[in-house]
Amino acid sequence: MKKKQIAITLGIVCFILTIAIAIQLKTIRNTNTTISQSLADNALRDEVLKWKEKYDVTYKELASSEKELDSIRKEATRNDTTSQAKQEEIKQNNMLLGMTNVQGSGIEIVLKDNLTASNDPLLTLNPSNVIVHNIDLIEVINALKNAGAEAISVNGQRVVPTTSITCVGNVIKINGQKIGSPFVIRAIGNQELLYGSLVIPGGYLNILKDAHVVVEGPNKVDHINIEKYDGVINFKYIKSR
Amino acid sequence: MQKEKKDYIVMSIIIGVVCVILLAVMFMQFKTVEETDITAIENMREVELRTAISEWKTKYEETAEKLEANRKLIKDYQEKIEKNEETSSLIDYDLKESDMILGKTDVYGEGVVVTLEDNSECKVTYSDLIELINELRYAGAEAISINDARIINMTEISQPNGVMTINSETRVHSPYVVKAIGNQTYLSSTLNLKDSGFIDTCRARGMTIKLEQVKNVPILKYNGEMKTKYMMKGEEKE
Repeated sequence: MKKKQIAITLGIVCFILTIAIAIQLKTIRNTNTTISQSLADNALRDEVLKWKEKYDVTYKELASSEKELDSIRKEATRNDTTSQAKQEEIKQNNMLLGMTNVQGSGIEIVLKDNLTASNDPLLTLNPSNVIVHNIDLIEVINALKNAGAEAISVNGQRVVPTTSITCVGNVIKINGQKIGSPFVIRAIGNQELLYGSLVIPGGYLNILKDAHVVVEGPNKVDHINIEKYDGVINFKYIKSR
Repeated sequence: MQKEKKDYIVMSIIIGVVCVILLAVMFMQFKTVEETDITAIENMREVELRTAISEWKTKYEETAEKLEANRKLIKDYQEKIEKNEETSSLIDYDLKESDMILGKTDVYGEGVVVTLEDNSECKVTYSDLIELINELRYAGAEAISINDARIINMTEISQPNGVMTINSETRVHSPYVVKAIGNQTYLSSTLNLKDSGFIDTCRARGMTIKLEQVKNVPILKYNGEMKTKYMMKGEEKE
């Protein structure tokens, strides 16, 4: 009787251990492949870091050269009022292009993927509708521009003449940078117009709300800081007459 | 009877100890496995790594070029100051470059012309045009116009009461001729992407659309004023 009991216990323990070992072997096999893969990829990884570092260094130099250029322009033009006006115009152009940090009054909107809607049994929603797409961001930005926005940013990325918002798989990219939900859109301009253009019945924000995307705001903010574009606009194909 | 009980206890203890040791070893191993995969770069696969390299490389090269141009300009200014020469021609050149990027000058260059037309089956909407602009910019377009209305940074397209309006003032009608200057190959291959590209998705909806590569696309300047009223210079952080 006792022997039987022992045999059964031992059997159970052995069984559990075998399963555990089998699981472990499987996990180890998986990690082994990643490890060998990562060994092969290490050189590539180093190269990514190398180019990133090179870029960072050059970008810093560029920022300081930009400042130097500003001050030398000022110095070179101080004796001539027409040139001085032109120098001011260049500064204004750079601000319009998005190459400087700016501040002012405006609004802020937050768009979020709706993660709870798909669990709600009362709502039979297409999961693709409740998340924020690149098109949604483009439409909201277009509406803001329509209301006379002077500067716009999405998750800190300034909207400049070269800005595109694309969707590759599940990743949204703006200015080549990956961003994800929540999407914080800031705009400087006439608060009333910006606000009005977004909350208008049939406006794009309401379309998003009806689709059960989470929309926070628009909130009027009296002091908004919008950062400059952190890339370079370097045109090669256009020529002036 | 006594002996049997003793054996039983010893056996249980041994099994217990072995189990504890094995569990400990297992947890240690699982933990190590967990720790091996963190940080973003370390997890990238080969293809992603190669894309990352080329992305950073392009960014670096563009930054380096721009830096080079800036340095040259600084040097030119310095020379003028040292020699006490007139700076007006230099500042004119400087301003012209910046006006060109902004869209204040007529420009030309290689590029593509996309023509979208309403038909009985499918009408072109403002959303189609803003999506097309987005696609063109993604493909590196440097200047864009629709029916000769220049698209600048803050350009919007709306359709109040069905009338297509650019920048709230210029009305445009079908056919919409969208001109873009940039690398012809990039521009046309991005738009022509099979099935998921802009042209194929529009055709699937029944729209009349065609794309031509053009050696010399002329694009007119933006005619309006670019005023700022609410935006002020922000603090520069270092």
